[in-house]
Amino acid sequence: MITIALPSKGRMKDDASAIFEKAGLKVVAVGNERSYRGRLEGIDDVEIAFLSASEISREIGNASIDFGVTGEDLIREGLAEADGRVEFCARLGFGHADVVVAVPDIWLDVDTMADLGDVAADFRARHGRRLAIATKYWRLTQQFFSSQHGIQLYRIVESLGATEGAPAAGSADIIVDITSTGSTLKANHLKILSDGVILKSEACLVRARKAEHQGDATVAEIISRIRAVV
Amino acid sequence: MTLINLPDFAGDLIADFERLGTTRVDTPVIQPAEPFLDMAGEDLRRRIFLTQSETGENLCLRPEFTIPVCMRHIETATGTPKRYSYLGEVFRQRREGGSEFYQAGIEDLGTRDSASADARAVADAVTILGGLLPERPLAVTMGDQAMFEAVVAALGLPAGWQKRLIRAFGEQTQLEALMLRLAKPEQVAGLGAEVEALLAKDDEQGLVAHIDGVMEATGYLTNASRAPKEIARRLKDKLALAGTSLDPGKLDVLREFLSLNVSLRYAPGVLADFAKSTGLPLQAAVERFDARVAAFANAGVKLSDITWRAAFGRPLDYYTGLVFEVSLRNDHRVLAGGGRYDGMLTLLGAEENIPAVGFSLWLDRIEAVRGERS
Repeated sequence: MITIALPSKGRMKDDASAIFEKAGLKVVAVGNERSYRGRLEGIDDVEIAFLSASEISREIGNASIDFGVTGEDLIREGLAEADGRVEFCARLGFGHADVVVAVPDIWLDVDTMADLGDVAADFRARHGRRLAIATKYWRLTQQFFSSQHGIQLYRIVESLGATEGAPAAGSADIIVDITSTGSTLKANHLKILSDGVILKSEACLVRARKAEHQGDATVAEIISRIRAVV
Repeated sequence: MTLINLPDFAGDLIADFERLGTTRVDTPVIQPAEPFLDMAGEDLRRRIFLTQSETGENLCLRPEFTIPVCMRHIETATGTPKRYSYLGEVFRQRREGGSEFYQAGIEDLGTRDSASADARAVADAVTILGGLLPERPLAVTMGDQAMFEAVVAALGLPAGWQKRLIRAFGEQTQLEALMLRLAKPEQVAGLGAEVEALLAKDDEQGLVAHIDGVMEATGYLTNASRAPKEIARRLKDKLALAGTSLDPGKLDVLREFLSLNVSLRYAPGVLADFAKSTGLPLQAAVERFDARVAAFANAGVKLSDITWRAAFGRPLDYYTGLVFEVSLRNDHRVLAGGGRYDGMLTLLGAEENIPAVGFSLWLDRIEAVRGERS
C-alpha cells in the first residue's frame, strides 16, 4: 500500500486535487466530504491521507508516508539534509512563495547581505546585543547566514505569527519570512535584500526515499503521471 | 559521584595540571545557553543540547569549558593573572563520535606578556600530548590573526574593508568572494532623489532628519533598533566602501600572503622577505611575530614541529591572535586546539580588558589514538 499525503484544507488542497485529477488520479474522499482519508478512483493499492502542510513535511521525513504534496520551504526547514531523505519528484506550479531576508525600508544603507554583515558585526558594540532576526525558519536562516554568507553574529527570535510586524514593534531588527506578492512586507515598510532570496518555494510532489520503492510500478506510475501534467 | 568512564589517563592529566601550577576548576554541567549562542552564534544552536527551565530560561548541557571558566572567573573576581585547568564532560551533537565526551584544558587569563603566554599554551599542549602519546610525532599548525590584520591595514584599505576581510579570516570562500569584489568598485543606486541630493551636499543633519521623519511616519521606533544617525553615518561609509577597489598588484600581494605555509623555523625569514619584496610597512607586526617565535623556542617547543599557515584563523569576533591545533603527523584528527581570545572576557561582561589564551584537549580522540598503538 502506497500512502500519499495531501494538504487537508484551503487552496493547497484544491490545487493538489486538481493536479492529481488532471493526471488521471482522481482523489475521492472516503466517507463524507470532510473526511481525512481518501483514495484514488480506480486504483486499489494507494491511500490518501489529508494532513496539514507541516505535518506532511514531518511524516515524509519519518518515511511514514510515501508521497506528500507540500511546500519546498517546509521540507527544507523541517528536515536536515533533505535531499538525502526525500526526492523532489515534481514542482507543481502552485503555492509559490519565497523565503526572504527583509529589513526596514528606512535602512537606506542596507541593500545586500554584505551590508547586513557589516551591520551585524558592529551591532553588539553599538547596541549591547546581537542583531535579532524574527523568523520561524531557523534552519534556512542559519544555513543562509552562517554557511552561505559567513554571518555568524546574530540571534534568532522565534516568531510564530505576524513576523512582518516584529521590526516595527521592536521585538526584532529584521525578519526572514515567506512572501508571495510582497504586499505584506511593503505594508510593513520592509524591503527584500537584493541578494536576500533564500529559497523560491512552491508546492512539490515529494517522495520519501525508501528502499522498497525501487522497482515498484505504482510508485513509478504516480511520478510519471504527475510529471506529465506539470 | 565517581565517574567510572573517565579515560584511564585522567590521573596523568591531573598530575600535569598540578605540575604546571594551574588552578583546577569545575563548572556546572547545566549552563545558561545565552552566553554560548551570543559568543559563538546561532550556528551553535543545532550542535548543543538545549532545554528550558520552568521559567523559560534557555539552558544547555555544557558544550565546552572556556566560556563557563571565564564567566566563573568574572563572577568570583579573584583577580588576574590566573591559569585555570579543567577536566570534565562536554555535550555536543557531532557527525562523528559520541555526543558526550571528555575535554580537558588550560585557560590563561590576564597574563600581559602575550608572546610568552602564547608560547606557554602551545608548549603545555604539546608536552601533555607528548606524555600521553610517547614516541608519536606531533604536528602543530598555527595561524595568527594579528599578522593578517597588519597586512590588510598595510594595503591601505578603509577601515570598513579591513573589518570585512578580518571577519572572513579563516573562511577561504568568503575571503575569495571579498577579493573578487575588491577587484572593481561598485555602484550604489536606488536611494531616491532626495537622499542622493542630501548625500551630494554631505548634509548629515539633513539626512538624519529625513530618516527620522520617515521612521516617525511609518511607525518605527527610533530607539529600539538602529537609530537615524547610525543609518546616515553607515550610508556614507557604504558609499565609500562601494567606491573602493584594490589594484591587481595589491590583490596578488594579499593572495600571496594567504598562501604562505611554512615551518615556523623559516617563518620569520619568509615574512621578512614578504615585507621587503612587497614594500608593505609590516615592521611592528613582524617584530611581534618574531618575539613569539623566540618565546616558543624559549618555552622549549620544537619550531620544526610547528607549521605556520597564514590563512589559518577562526571567524569569530573574540579570536584576536594566535590559533593552533595539534595532531599526529600525517593524521587529520585534531587532538588539541586553542588560541588567543582577548575579546571574550569583555563580551562576557568583564569590566577591564583581560587578555586570554588557552587550549583544550579532545580526550576521546586521544584515547582512540592511544588504543590504536597496541
